Amino acid sequence: MGLNSNTNEKIAFSLLTLATIIVTGIVLVILAYIILNGYGAISIEFLTQMPNRMMTAGGIFPAIIGTIALIIGSMLVALPLGVMAAIYLNEYAGESRTTWLIEMAINNLAGTPSVVFGLFGLALFVKYFDFGPSILSASLTLALLILPVIIRASEEALLTVPNEYRESSLALGVSKWQTIRYVVLPAAIPGIVTGSVLSIGRVAGETAPILFTGAAYFLPRLPDSIYSQFMALPYHLFVLATAGTNISETKSIQYGTALVLLIIVLGVNLVAVVIRRHYRNKLKI
Amino acid sequence: MTEAVQNISQPQIEAENLSLWYGEKQVLKNISIKIPRNSVTALIGPSGSGKSTFIRCLNRMNDLIKNCRVEGKVLIEGKDIYAPDVDVVELRKKVGMVFQKPNPFPMSIYDNVAYGPRIHGVNKKDLDSIVEQALRSAAIWEETSDRLKSSALSLSGGQQQRLCIARTLAVKPRIILFDEPTSALDPISTARIEDLITNLKKDYTIVIVTHNMQQAARISDYTGFFLSGELIEFDQTRQIFHNPKEKSTEDYITGRFG
Repeated sequence: MGLNSNTNEKIAFSLLTLATIIVTGIVLVILAYIILNGYGAISIEFLTQMPNRMMTAGGIFPAIIGTIALIIGSMLVALPLGVMAAIYLNEYAGESRTTWLIEMAINNLAGTPSVVFGLFGLALFVKYFDFGPSILSASLTLALLILPVIIRASEEALLTVPNEYRESSLALGVSKWQTIRYVVLPAAIPGIVTGSVLSIGRVAGETAPILFTGAAYFLPRLPDSIYSQFMALPYHLFVLATAGTNISETKSIQYGTALVLLIIVLGVNLVAVVIRRHYRNKLKI
Repeated sequence: MTEAVQNISQPQIEAENLSLWYGEKQVLKNISIKIPRNSVTALIGPSGSGKSTFIRCLNRMNDLIKNCRVEGKVLIEGKDIYAPDVDVVELRKKVGMVFQKPNPFPMSIYDNVAYGPRIHGVNKKDLDSIVEQALRSAAIWEETSDRLKSSALSLSGGQQQRLCIARTLAVKPRIILFDEPTSALDPISTARIEDLITNLKKDYTIVIVTHNMQQAARISDYTGFFLSGELIEFDQTRQIFHNPKEKSTEDYITGRFG
């Protein structure tokens, strides 16, 4: 080619830098847009009160609580289940046709549109198990949605644990399960946490899976059990922006809701960073 | 084999016609050997000759490799360790192993040594003395006694390897297998480990795989020469180095191949 390698290098470097700038720029613009439009709506009342006057005033307290309940509920189910499945697949299953099929199924599950999960949750949890539209049904549906993400992340994390740890533990007369419990899992936790956090973002943000399984259009009180219906931030946002009683009047409430959702997700990420750092420090020097 | 080796009575480790396959590939061919108590036995031979595979039969680490098939017998203290009623976990408490690469766990120095005994249910109050004892026996107590809580990964390579030896000693094995324990270390660290192995002979039976012929000559009482999955010659180290019976043994130790 006419270009020498030095020029090539410069072009590649510029293109890659440009791509990074564009990506970062887009994220920053979105963030700034939501913050600028939303921060005016944020107040103690907005965060702690029920919506009133047909959702054109008041707060979003029940939606915040609903979203937090969904995060906790789905994580309680998906995290142990996903990590255990990953341990089985990575440490015990070995390579066989069955394992290959299971891995394929997990991959397909990860690619399934979330609205399909919503319908499945409606059929299985709401109807068949008769949990009704509730926090329980919605949490279980969301748990299924994020299960493949958690299994994948946990498998990746387990794969990065050096085999020497397993060998030297076994060579000390330690059983396989104890080896996993005391050496492999502690070393894999930072990776598992990182992967799981990504799925918390999805739980907080998904609308389709909770649409048929328990999210309420308007419910100016807090859920009193796991069988209650609930409000959730993303669905509330969707309602306000599309079917609300007065779309233009509630603009600032909409952005305020988006901002709160964003802050919850970022907050959870922050907690994850702290957990990860704690374990890293414990493991490293 | 000279008579001294043939007449070893009550060997602590004995293999009888041991063969091993990885899938279709035969890696060990009819190995028979008797290793006496409280001795150091060095296994030498070119890469891929089966010596590491052989010692991994002695604590059944080969079980971890799929498609691995073993025929013949391995007796540890007279008991066939491939018999169906054998508890592999118990076996590995008795037969410890130190690996080629120093591989302490990502925990404190103390926790590394306490790891085995703790899991085996040793009392909390006995743990301190077990850890100190093991670190002393592994000649690393002086360097670590004031920093037991710091990470094992902050130690140098040679220190890490001695820590791994301490970790093995803490489980109180009777046999220790060393799989090229010094090949990743500098000469000074290597010398310290060799001294240590010589000292450990009093209380343990030691089998060491090494690529370093001088090392075998320096520290071992017996030497076995492996070639292409066969144990070509096994004898007192003196015999092997000064008066080998087999042509290929002589060729290897004189450096004509390998």
